[in-house]
Parts: sequence; structure tokens; C-alpha cells
Amino acid sequence: MKRFFTILICKLLRFVGKLIGKGSSMPGQIALKICPDILKRVTLPQYIIAITGSNGKTSTVEMIAHILTKNGKTVAWNREGSNQIEGVTTMVLSNATLSGKVKADILLIESDERYAKKTFSYIDATDYVITNLYRDQLTRNGHPEFVFDAIADSIHDNTRLILNADDPLVSTFGNNRENVVWFGADELTSDEKELHSVYNDGAYCPVCKAPMTYTTHHYNHIGHYACTSCGYHRHDTDYTVTAVDLKEGWLELDGKYRVSLALKSLYNIYNILAAYTVARLVGIDGKAIADDMNDYVLKNGRVINFKLGSRQGTLLTSKHENSISYDHSIRVACACDEGADVLIIVDAVSRKYFTSDVSWLWDIDFEMLDNDNIHEIVLAGAYVNDLASRFSYTNIPQKKIKLFEDISEAADHLNSDRKEYIYAITCFSDKEKFLSKVEEV
Amino acid sequence: MKLLHLYHDIMNLYGDYANILALERMLKDNGAEVVIDRRTLGDQIDLGAYDFIFIGSGTEKNQKVVLADLMKYKDQLADYIASGKVLLMTGNSFEMLGKTITDGYGKAYDGLALYDFTVTEERGKRYTSDIIADSIACDQPLVGFINKSSMIHGIKTPMNTVTFGFGNNADEMTEGITDHHFYGTHITGPVLQKNPHFLSKIAALLLGKKPDDSSFTYEKKGYDNTLKKLSERMK
Repeated sequence: MKRFFTILICKLLRFVGKLIGKGSSMPGQIALKICPDILKRVTLPQYIIAITGSNGKTSTVEMIAHILTKNGKTVAWNREGSNQIEGVTTMVLSNATLSGKVKADILLIESDERYAKKTFSYIDATDYVITNLYRDQLTRNGHPEFVFDAIADSIHDNTRLILNADDPLVSTFGNNRENVVWFGADELTSDEKELHSVYNDGAYCPVCKAPMTYTTHHYNHIGHYACTSCGYHRHDTDYTVTAVDLKEGWLELDGKYRVSLALKSLYNIYNILAAYTVARLVGIDGKAIADDMNDYVLKNGRVINFKLGSRQGTLLTSKHENSISYDHSIRVACACDEGADVLIIVDAVSRKYFTSDVSWLWDIDFEMLDNDNIHEIVLAGAYVNDLASRFSYTNIPQKKIKLFEDISEAADHLNSDRKEYIYAITCFSDKEKFLSKVEEV
Repeated sequence: MKLLHLYHDIMNLYGDYANILALERMLKDNGAEVVIDRRTLGDQIDLGAYDFIFIGSGTEKNQKVVLADLMKYKDQLADYIASGKVLLMTGNSFEMLGKTITDGYGKAYDGLALYDFTVTEERGKRYTSDIIADSIACDQPLVGFINKSSMIHGIKTPMNTVTFGFGNNADEMTEGITDHHFYGTHITGPVLQKNPHFLSKIAALLLGKKPDDSSFTYEKKGYDNTLKKLSERMK
């Protein structure tokens, strides 16, 4: 009776919440108050697939849901991206019958990495994908090893782990464990032998802390590594990106299936690979997956094309306090052979919490913008002086750089008769301040 | 002028490396010739050959690895500090100079014991906050960010008094440690970039005169902006 009542309340609150435009956390929060172990009292489907990691959770979950749905599976998933226990509860109960049976073949859960333990103390995932551990929102998350410990506490012994073999810290989750599936990328033409980055989180072995060596870096500490002391090394992969061509914009899966990339960047390759891996494990044919993924444009609005007067551009939503996401966006701009202007906005560091910390600017490899393809660099927002300071330590000629505290003035400046393509690089917290000045196309 | 960035590749968690760049620029602006050495685990160095030494913040695990290596410099480091040379340690690096560090599992590690304080880490706990602190080291307040999992007890000569943020432990609003020209603070990352007045103070110690800081206009404006934002937040 309590279960029936809790599910009913949650569904009603969700219905009303949707009408008045409320978020998806509140109904679950109230359901958990009424019945703290409600997630244990519902009947879950055969597959319960969890996904966590620093970057790409939402994109990966969205792609998995897309592929599985296209191939005739019903999927319950947190499409609003509320990824802590409250949001997950709302999602599960919204998809349940009043008698407590989740109506889906697959339950797909994007989980916040810091608080995964809470969610999975009630739900026993059959499969658990861990995409990567990067320096991400360190003002809240401490550092990657701290997040590692939090995720470790959420893993059950009987769960099959699906791990990124190219991430040395993530891969240690697979140590002394049988039921692990590995995904990763072979050596790619875009790789670097020597790392070019302002920091190296792969310098030392995550197991024994002796120096590590890399035969290839895909980017940052992601690549093919081996410890010089304890023998820890990159694991062979079960599902693999065998080639990438960023000029033509495609990747190849398992040497057989070619997928064209909507954005010519490595940014999404692990999300695509993780989605492919999960879909294969659920029994979907490789070719069908590749067909579903061709030119797949993510619906979560990370990449937005716009017009500003006579000029065209793309907003690459990046994450403040996350240098790898910025580095990826910068690489996209630098690959623009026709010539590009770049706009970078740091106005509010976060939309979810307060901080005025800009240490993370020093982890971004802005030096890459010292590139003939990049013509003008416009820095804007309340933290324009911190950006300007950071840029003054690059080799970029200062005359290429324009500063505007006011984002409107930056947009006015860019609204000129220049011919260069515009790449706007900023975070969720600041992107609307720019998008309100341009026409989305 | 010889600057040493020690453990540059393993104690560099929050952009700490930028401190050396800021100091290099200010010293060069003032006509000094500057050499920077970047050294790490396993190297053998004569610390006395340097005019300035910097160590940044690291993960709790990395700090323990570094601590084992730093132990060999115990006497050298004591002499260096006593001689009045400048040492800057940001984040959890200065914890290594105390008596013990007890990790989140209860395991105790001997520190260099140059000072009497003890450090206790808490597993699964993170103390994070923006910070404003008055400092013995400089006239204007320091701004920055605290990001730690430890409580420190027994520091008799703190460097800062916190007006917004965390102190050395839950009961004290004093923060960091200072002795001669050793400045240890749990403020992480590019402390000198964010606090150009503190940078000037360090540069003055090295140059023996008040430095020309006129090329640091972005940093000064950045400092004013952050101090304003944090002060508003404090209210």
C-alpha cells in the first residue's frame, strides 16, 4: 500500500511539475521522504545500466537511449539529466506501474559521480559504465582521486564493469576483477607521441605512483600507458575505435563500421564508443548501431550554430572548471583552415554554486590558439582580466586579443564585416548571455 | 636569481605552477636575470643554491609519495628557512613539514618535524571554499580557494587570519604557517597571480627593494573583482 501511494504521489507531482515547468528532482525527493527504500520495492527490468564519469555522461546516455529505442527496445532513462538519487527516483517511479513494475526492457541511469553511492545502495546495476576521470569542478569535487574513491564505494561485486581502457585511473577499477568489459581507441593519426599539455595527470602510475610511460597520447592523459615499475598497463580492448579521420570527420568501430561525426573532434568518440559497447552487449547488431549513429547530432544543445549579422559561427558549450572540455573546443577552432575568430566568455564560474575561483584557467592549453588559423581572440565576461592574465603567459601576439568585460559589447565587436568563422567557447552558466545576442540557425 | 619549482609534475593540482611564472615575470621586469629549475621525485638537489623554492598542492596519495622523497632534504630545508631565504608552499604541501600526517584510514606518516603541528585527513570529506584572509605576509587581504580534506592542529605561528572560508581546523580561524620567509598556506593554485600585492612582497624580498609592478594591471583588476565578489558573498 505504501508503495502504491508513493508511486502515485510521485507521478502526480511529476505531472504537475511538468505543467508549471519545475525540475525533475522534487517528486523523487518527496517519494524518498515517504518511503526511503522505495527503489528497493519496485521490480526493475533485466538490464540496469548505470553510467558515470567526469565528462560525457549525458551525451552517452542520450546516444544509448537513441540506439536501443531505434532497435525496438523500451528504455527508461533520466532524459532531463537529473542524476542524483532524487532525480533517479523520479525517473524510475514515473516509469513504473502503480503496482511497482518498471515498464521497460532497460533501465538506463546517468549517475553523478560524487553521489553514486547513494543511488546504488538501493539499485543493483547489472552493468556500470565509467567513462573517464578528469579534473572537473575541482572547487566542488576536490580532485580525480577523491572522486575515484566515491565511485569505488558505489560498485557492487556482481556488477559487470564497462571501463575506458585508455584512462589509467578509471582502468584501476578493473584490477583483480573478472567481469569487466574494456573499450578504448587504437593508436590514432591525431595522436601525439609527446604530451603537449600544461599538466599531466598520467605522469605517475595510479597504482604504485612510479613514473608511467606512454606509447601514444590520444589527448591529455588518455592513451596507451604502462607503469615503469609495477607492470600496470593499458588493458586490451573488447570494443575499439580502430581509426579516426578528423579532416573527413569519421571514426571506425572494430575495423568494420564507419560512423560519421557531426563535430570533427575527438570530443565525442568515447561517448560513441561507450554507447556502441553497451548496445552490443545488449545484443544489437554492430552495423545497425553504426547506421543509427551516423551524423547523430546530440539533442542536449552542446553545439549550436548561429548567425551574428553577416557572420556565421558555432557555440561549443564547454565546461568551466574542466580543462579537457576547453582543450577539445580549442582544437576544433584551430582545425578551421578557412580562418576563425574565437570568443571565450567567463562571467559566472558556475550556475549551480558560488565560486570566484579561476585556478582552472591555468590548466587549459590556450597556447594551442597560437595558430595561423586563429585570427582574432575576444575575451569577455566578469573574469576578463583573469583570462587576459592567463593569455599574457602564452606566445599569442597580444594584438590579436580583444578584451570586453561586457558580453554585449563583445558581441557588438564581433558583429562586423570580418569574414572569419566565429567559434564561441563558454559554459552552460554563460552561454545564454551570448546566445541572446545572436540568431540560432 | 635561481628559482626552484620542486615536485613540479606531481604537486601541481590546481594550476599551482603559475606562481613561478608570475614571479619570473616580475623579477625580469625589474632587471633580474632569472633561472628556473624544475625538479621532482628522485632528483638530488642542493637547496642552498636557490633564492626561492616553491612546492604546490597535490592529491593526498601524491603528497605521501612526495613526503617520502622530501625527507632526505629535512636538514637542508631547516637550514634554508633559518637562513631567511624565501620558501612558498601552497595547498597541502606545507603539511609535510609538521610532525605527522594521519590519513583517512588512520595510518600515520612521519613528517619532516620542522614544526610541531599534526595533520589529520578525513576519508570522504572535502573542505572547499573561496577564502579571504588577512595575512602577516602582506598589507592587503589574500583571496583564493581552499580545497582540502585535513584538519591541522598545533600551528603556533600562522600566516593568515581568515575572514571568509576555513582556517587550519574547525575551531581556529588562523590559517597556514610562517617562519622567517617561509610562507605555507592551504590556499591552492596560483596564489601569486591572484594576489599581485603578495607577489610584490615576495619579489621585494628577493630584489632587496620595492619592485616595479606596473605590468601587472590585469592581475590587480582581477584581484579587485574577486575581492569584491567574495566580500558581497560574505554579507
